[in-house]
Amino acid sequence: MSARLPRLAVLGLLLLLVLAIPQVVPGVYINVVARAAVYGIVALSMNVLVGYAGQASLGHAAFLGVGAFASGYALTEMGMPFGAALAVAALVGMAAALVLGGVALRVTGLYLALVTIAFGLFAQETLFNIRSLTGGGAGQPAARPSLFQGDVAYTYLCVGVLFLVILFDWRLTATRPGRAIQALRDDERVAASWGIDVTAHKLLAFVISGGIAGIGGGLFASIEQIVSKEDFGLSLSITFLLMTVVGGAGNRWGVVQGGILFAVLPTLLDRTHANFHVFPFTELTATWEPAIGAVLLLLTLTMFPGGIAQQQGALLSWLGGGPFTRDPDAHAPQGGGMGARP
Amino acid sequence: MLAPDPAKPVLDIDSVSIRFGGVQALAEVSLKIGEGEIVGILGPNGAGKTTLFNCVSGFYAPNSGRVRLFGEDVTEMKPEDRAQRGLGRTFQLVGLVRSFTVLENLVVAQHASVRSSGLAAIVGAPGARREERLLRERADDVLDFMGLTAFRDRRIGGLPYGTLKMVEVAAVLATDPSILMLDEPLAGASGEEGNIFCDRVEQMRTELGLSVILIEHHVPLVLRSSDYVYVLNFGALLAEGTPEQVRDNSEVAEAYMGEGASTLA
Repeated sequence: MSARLPRLAVLGLLLLLVLAIPQVVPGVYINVVARAAVYGIVALSMNVLVGYAGQASLGHAAFLGVGAFASGYALTEMGMPFGAALAVAALVGMAAALVLGGVALRVTGLYLALVTIAFGLFAQETLFNIRSLTGGGAGQPAARPSLFQGDVAYTYLCVGVLFLVILFDWRLTATRPGRAIQALRDDERVAASWGIDVTAHKLLAFVISGGIAGIGGGLFASIEQIVSKEDFGLSLSITFLLMTVVGGAGNRWGVVQGGILFAVLPTLLDRTHANFHVFPFTELTATWEPAIGAVLLLLTLTMFPGGIAQQQGALLSWLGGGPFTRDPDAHAPQGGGMGARP
Repeated sequence: MLAPDPAKPVLDIDSVSIRFGGVQALAEVSLKIGEGEIVGILGPNGAGKTTLFNCVSGFYAPNSGRVRLFGEDVTEMKPEDRAQRGLGRTFQLVGLVRSFTVLENLVVAQHASVRSSGLAAIVGAPGARREERLLRERADDVLDFMGLTAFRDRRIGGLPYGTLKMVEVAAVLATDPSILMLDEPLAGASGEEGNIFCDRVEQMRTELGLSVILIEHHVPLVLRSSDYVYVLNFGALLAEGTPEQVRDNSEVAEAYMGEGASTLA
């Protein structure tokens, strides 16, 4: 109770900060902010599959691509309004995830990782080459909605959708299907012994993840207002997995921050390279991004398996209404419980 | 107290056999549990006790034999469907969701009883919210019954082993089973805790109307709390009977205590 006011003040300041970013960022970089919001959405999509359901995914760029092309096709070829195109992107993402999920039910671990890589490559090399659907090498145009034509306005739209997805994710984990998905991550046999239909909920995790990624893809398509298959390579899928793990698989605030970090990293590297004329910045360029991602992954796995979320554990606990401590068991818990912490 | 009625079995294991490669893990094992009965299963390590549980709960498919639950043949049924028919079980290695708190485990364990749709719950429809509250209340009731209220908001990761086994029993109770299969619930417990647990198992029968199957290495406790005892050895039934009969069975004593022993405990 006593910390309620400062907590609300800090939360309000953080919200203002997020809302101010599109206003203060220089015009040339505003699309990076939109991209960061989309990566945040993708990270939440990855989180459902990797963090909650404990499945591997090294083909997530395919879901983003499927959503992007579906939205572009709906906008350009069918003349649908933007909202409807996003809905189409979500549905197509869900359908693609259902197909992959059907296969994933039969394999686990390393084999599942291989299947998802194959799925991603198949999408990029075959699906996205269908000229009539994706525009082939020229790409598929994807116009922005009339209300959000400007770069700043569109960025706000992306941030708004990110908040909606966070809200959905919070509600999901506080309800029966979300809990069941998390239960089967630890031990499928235990979940089954509680009467949880393991097959159905694993598929559900895939479908939810695919739907969120599809929405992310729809938003992604209209950032540059054109998409081509080059945007959705294997390296992007790997980046998605990296940002989920580095952010902290299983924690929605962690993975969103991971997504934002990896979205701005190339630009950040280029800017430091251009502006700081001292070693090591003279040597750093955006091409260093994979190496830095790898180092971050190693640091995460060896020192903070819970990722960014674990490092911020005390802060996240306090903001969620608990004590300012990383270990909630060390202090008497205040209410807490499932769904109490967004 | 409910009078145990072995003539009308709630669980009927009918000559179940299972083989893993060259090992005959179970050989024509038959077992019956009547309504409101507490049945103990004894046997040395590797006798097939946990394998039997896995056959009954559906994680292993027996090579031959049938498993009937309330008269219904469930031999081909998936584990979750058996659970939804009222078969609850614990695991030798603790079966809980590690990243959840104790309360959250008991809420997710009530999965099968939730009626409102996932969509209604996600948008926070009033009916779904009320049901969520009821799930918590029920979880609290079970924690109270098991004397675990103090651990309500603790994460599973930080709890001692003996407590975890009790939380696991609480989680299975939250599924509202009719038959409870306990796999070494007292591993990691002290003698005093064992006695308390025996009283609690008796309460489960009288207050909750459960039939209980108990695998436990602590022989005196099994003999004390069971109405009927089966002894497994090398995958086959070595003996069965009332606790007194089993205690005085010299074959059982030899299997347990070594050659020359004549009575158990």
